[in-house]
Amino acid sequence: MLPHLDAAFNYAFWLTRNSADAEDLVQDACVRAMRFLSSLRDDDARAWLFAIVRNTWYSRVSRRANLAEATPLDSARDERPDVALDPEERLLQQHTVALVRAALEQLPADFREVIVLREFEGLSYKEIAAVVRVPIGTVMSRLARGRERLMAVLKLTAPMEIRR
Amino acid sequence: MSCEHVERDLDTYLDNELDAATAMDVRGHLNECAACRRRVAEREALSRLVRAVPYYSAPDRLRARVLAQTTRARSARRLLTWAAAAVLIVSLGGGGMILWRSTGTHDDAIAVELVDNHVRSLMANHLFDVESTDRHTVKPWFLGKLDFSPPVADLASIGFPLVGGRLDYVGGRPVAALVYQRQRHTINVFVSPASNDALTQANVQSLRGFRIHHWVHDSMSFWAVSDLNEAELTEFCEALEAS
Repeated sequence: MLPHLDAAFNYAFWLTRNSADAEDLVQDACVRAMRFLSSLRDDDARAWLFAIVRNTWYSRVSRRANLAEATPLDSARDERPDVALDPEERLLQQHTVALVRAALEQLPADFREVIVLREFEGLSYKEIAAVVRVPIGTVMSRLARGRERLMAVLKLTAPMEIRR
Repeated sequence: MSCEHVERDLDTYLDNELDAATAMDVRGHLNECAACRRRVAEREALSRLVRAVPYYSAPDRLRARVLAQTTRARSARRLLTWAAAAVLIVSLGGGGMILWRSTGTHDDAIAVELVDNHVRSLMANHLFDVESTDRHTVKPWFLGKLDFSPPVADLASIGFPLVGGRLDYVGGRPVAALVYQRQRHTINVFVSPASNDALTQANVQSLRGFRIHHWVHDSMSFWAVSDLNEAELTEFCEALEAS
């Protein structure tokens, strides 16, 4: 479990958008993961841990109604500036990272999590479908729609395309 | 293939999830259509932006708590295993011990060792002995440390830069470990002479969420271990084998 702890925490953060909740969540998930350790298949431990993190989170969310409004976005970030860049480039990079993070945070949770699993974790469509428990076709359409929204928010699409 | 088709398959194409024939059709269309090429470039730019966002790393106190839980769970399990073994020995005499010990196969043992080496290299902050993106620095470094010279290729041109090398041990023998990077994923490639037959056979393709690819080329045995997805790791291994 420990080798995948960073991945689990990063995924938990993007589910909860809050580091205190993410920490709680991952700890709970690890306790549950250990209880079911006998049913663990070695070859997909990482995806399996994601699935447990996700189940733990959604069983909590359903217990706490209106959680989305109640949970403030986290402002204390683990920022590690890239020391290899000069100050101007670093500032530009931090600015871009902040923009992309904000855009991801605004995405609906369904879209956000498939993008996190695909772009950060490199999971295949099949693996994502298993974690999120939806058909592969749904994974595909959520990815496509999530990316469309990100493109629009980040204004990556050329102006003439927007008018279309 | 029309622009609408390409637009529909854009994500699956970029995610390497299209079947080979359709992917070839998409590439054919892209050669001729500037508008679709631009769409692909935009999507690739988005992917690069998202992947440039740093990980939210697990806080140390969380790591410590999970480690404590794991240790507790493991000692409880170990106790059970010993209890089971004791029962087995008592009921079957010496024969029980042999039965119990032969449950893990040799291939599995090598796979476990490779994954352990990979994980250790990431956790203990001992990824390299020689840190360099230049294969002309990495290759000579192994001279005098090994009784063979591992082939070292740089695959930066296709997005798998070489980042360093290290001496490691597999099956009680020194091997060369070459370290490559793909975005935030690390690939360890363990190289040893294929004559070392303990390390040339394997059936295990993945273990604990890490994928293992193995091949033999020019009488050298290669093992690539990473948490990278199957498609990208396959691309990497094919490129390395062809280099």
